[in-house]
Amino acid sequence: MSAAAMPDRRQLGTIISRNKLFEGLFALVGLLIVWIAVLILLALFINLAIDGAPRLSWAFLFSFPSRFPEEAGILSAWMGTVMVMVVTALVAVPLGIAAGLYLEEYAPKNWLTDIIEINVTNLAGVPSIIYGLLALGLFVYEFDMGQTVRVAGLVLALLILPVVIVSTREAIRSIPYGIREAAYALGADQWQVVSQHILPYSRSGILTGMIVGLSRAIGETAPVITIGALTFIAFLPPSPIQGEPPFINFDWLASPFTVLPIQIFNWVSRPQQEFHLNAAAAGLVLLTMTLLMNALAVWLRYRFRKQIRW
Amino acid sequence: METPAMNRDACGDLADEAHNRRDSATVKVRIDASSRGRAKAAAKLNLKAEVKELSFYYGDYQALKGINLVVPEYKVTALIGASGCGKSTFLRCFNRMHDLYPNNRYKGEITLFPDAINIVGKKVEPLEIRMRIGMVFQKPNPFPKSIYENVAYGLRVRGVRRRSMIDDHVEHALQQAGLWDEVKDRLDKSGLDLSGGQQQRVCIARALATEPELLLLDEPTSALDPIATAKIEELISELKDTVTVLIVTHNMQQAARVSDYTAFMHLGKLIEYADTETLFTNPGEKQTEDYITGRYG
Amino acid sequence: MDTDRENLTHHISKSFNRELEDLRNRVLRMGGVVESQLTDSLNAVANANEELAHSVIEHDYQLNEMEVEIDEECVLILARRQPAASDLRLVFAMMKTITDLERVGDEAKKIAKLALKLAESKLADQRYNEIATLGWYASDMLHQVLDALARLDPELALEICKKEQVVDREYKAIMRQIITYMMEDPRTISRSLEAAWAARALERIGDHARNIAENVIYLVKGKDIRHTDMEKVQDSIHRPK
Repeated sequence: MSAAAMPDRRQLGTIISRNKLFEGLFALVGLLIVWIAVLILLALFINLAIDGAPRLSWAFLFSFPSRFPEEAGILSAWMGTVMVMVVTALVAVPLGIAAGLYLEEYAPKNWLTDIIEINVTNLAGVPSIIYGLLALGLFVYEFDMGQTVRVAGLVLALLILPVVIVSTREAIRSIPYGIREAAYALGADQWQVVSQHILPYSRSGILTGMIVGLSRAIGETAPVITIGALTFIAFLPPSPIQGEPPFINFDWLASPFTVLPIQIFNWVSRPQQEFHLNAAAAGLVLLTMTLLMNALAVWLRYRFRKQIRW
Repeated sequence: METPAMNRDACGDLADEAHNRRDSATVKVRIDASSRGRAKAAAKLNLKAEVKELSFYYGDYQALKGINLVVPEYKVTALIGASGCGKSTFLRCFNRMHDLYPNNRYKGEITLFPDAINIVGKKVEPLEIRMRIGMVFQKPNPFPKSIYENVAYGLRVRGVRRRSMIDDHVEHALQQAGLWDEVKDRLDKSGLDLSGGQQQRVCIARALATEPELLLLDEPTSALDPIATAKIEELISELKDTVTVLIVTHNMQQAARVSDYTAFMHLGKLIEYADTETLFTNPGEKQTEDYITGRYG
Repeated sequence: MDTDRENLTHHISKSFNRELEDLRNRVLRMGGVVESQLTDSLNAVANANEELAHSVIEHDYQLNEMEVEIDEECVLILARRQPAASDLRLVFAMMKTITDLERVGDEAKKIAKLALKLAESKLADQRYNEIATLGWYASDMLHQVLDALARLDPELALEICKKEQVVDREYKAIMRQIITYMMEDPRTISRSLEAAWAARALERIGDHARNIAENVIYLVKGKDIRHTDMEKVQDSIHRPK
């Protein structure tokens, strides 16, 4: 028998139990790491909740900021956040889907599209403050759009555009080629294939990408500060719905604004301890909004996936 | 070998006569005198398509090399050959599937009768070809839509709006595909909820609903179990009365069972084309013999 | 596609090669047994050899067993391999050939029984000389057809098909001769009838040999030449493919 003999039956037992040990160890380490991540988030949340929960009240949600911490609220901040998010979504989603669709379905495969592809991926990694500088130079000064809701919406839209594009492309790519071929083989043209098959079948992926993008945008502070959002707003932008015709107006787009992260930043930088508590409470609201959006993404994905499995 | 051998007289005649009489798609097929005491009378057969010197290129790679073949109408013609011999590539020329991908090039002609248009002609609109020629793929690929919408899709693409007409066509196609009794109570259920064999029959019904002149089957049973396979083979035999079928298959016994004519391809060339009976009992070429008997090539 | 011996066993499946090779060998072995049975029976008649005749009769069961075994093997190959083209023709031709071989064996047994009667009757001078020539023809045909089968030689097989007419002619001549004997001397009727039986058996052997030859042509050329004009057959065999 050579030295490298095959193990006999008794040795197999030891080998198997050794392998199992490694397997168990790895599972344990993995579990530990997962729990560390979960616990950190939980600690953060609990810490915020302990500090901020006592301050949470309808009055806090529906009051404007004030010099007096106990009278201050976040009404203008969360309204601003909602409006900026609406602009962001309206800009980023159609653009992102269109770009993703074009790149995936229409664009010829050549060096130009390769460069575009690399660029889109790289854009996702650009620091958000750079977007802020771009918006400040381009939108605020060059186009003279002011330090307004629309500029904030646009800059955040730019910020999340790569995310939407990439997730749209991923969603489209996950559709098996057989489905496309089946539709083409029946005589469908490209637009029919895209509108009747590609888009409907990829909507769960696209929606997920959109929500993930928005929940990133909702917490962004740097670009919004860079374009010069105010930190103290004691009024609401004009309502988009009005009593007299034409019933809707777009003045709110041109209105100055603040958003939740800025409000929090502002409060934290004050010396008074009471304002720090306000910041914790506002943080709690922001975190809840983000978690809710993520939950929505998970739910949507689950719902659509139930209908479509390849 | 430059020109593929047309084994026995039947197919040779078919090709020759088609060549001589280009104006008419009608050719005489003489059933080989020695073919087992069957009808020795001359039979009239119409041609559905005729392939002349067809070559196909994926970029610089030539996948098909000067193929000549005729597809008789209302018959099943099988394409057999080892993986990578170009049989699927050949099949996909018939409905211009290659146009979906860049850098693909056709050379030669596929004439589709009765109007004698060149399927691979540059001026011919692929959409028209695909509306006239149906295709079923290797892997069942129903849309993630209801069974009804799956079968109706071809009609919708053709702009059919009348509900009653769509209903009729869907029912008829599902009946042709032998699926009607199994699914008539759940037409609104997703096509993906069916078994593999049923899914493939939905795909066949989907292709049949638009009454294609020619039905292309690309290894339609390779992903199915033997029972589902038998059902589809039975279906193919039944379809012969109403549609011309061109089928690619890995399974030689399947070709022997379902087809009237069989073409053997090797490395992008058509090696032999003959009536199925002859090809499987007494092929004319060594390569064919080696392939169908499982010998070293 | 012609079948040739080198090509017969080049399957990807080696066990399939072995099965086909084994099948062919068994059929050829059975052919050998049949051939010696026939020769023995003819010798038994010629020499009124009782012992030899008994041995032929006893050995016939061997052929029956061989036929059953080979049949089983053919069915197994058909079920397991679904042979096509030359393989299919081989199995099919072998199945038909063993039927003919077994019948030849039966005919040999009949002739052997005649030899027994001859030995019992102690009429050594009444040997059936007239059938000796026919017997020689028939056993020569059988020998050649087995040769053609072993070498997969369609030309030789075609020659054998033609020889069958010679056997037929010889048979008819013998029958006329026997009838003449019987008319001349009614005492020989009983003996002449026996001779007619033997001639009949030999003529049948010629038929079987021709059947086997036809199987060989079918196996090699893929052409069924039964009930076909000889000249056409000749053309189709010689025509280059």
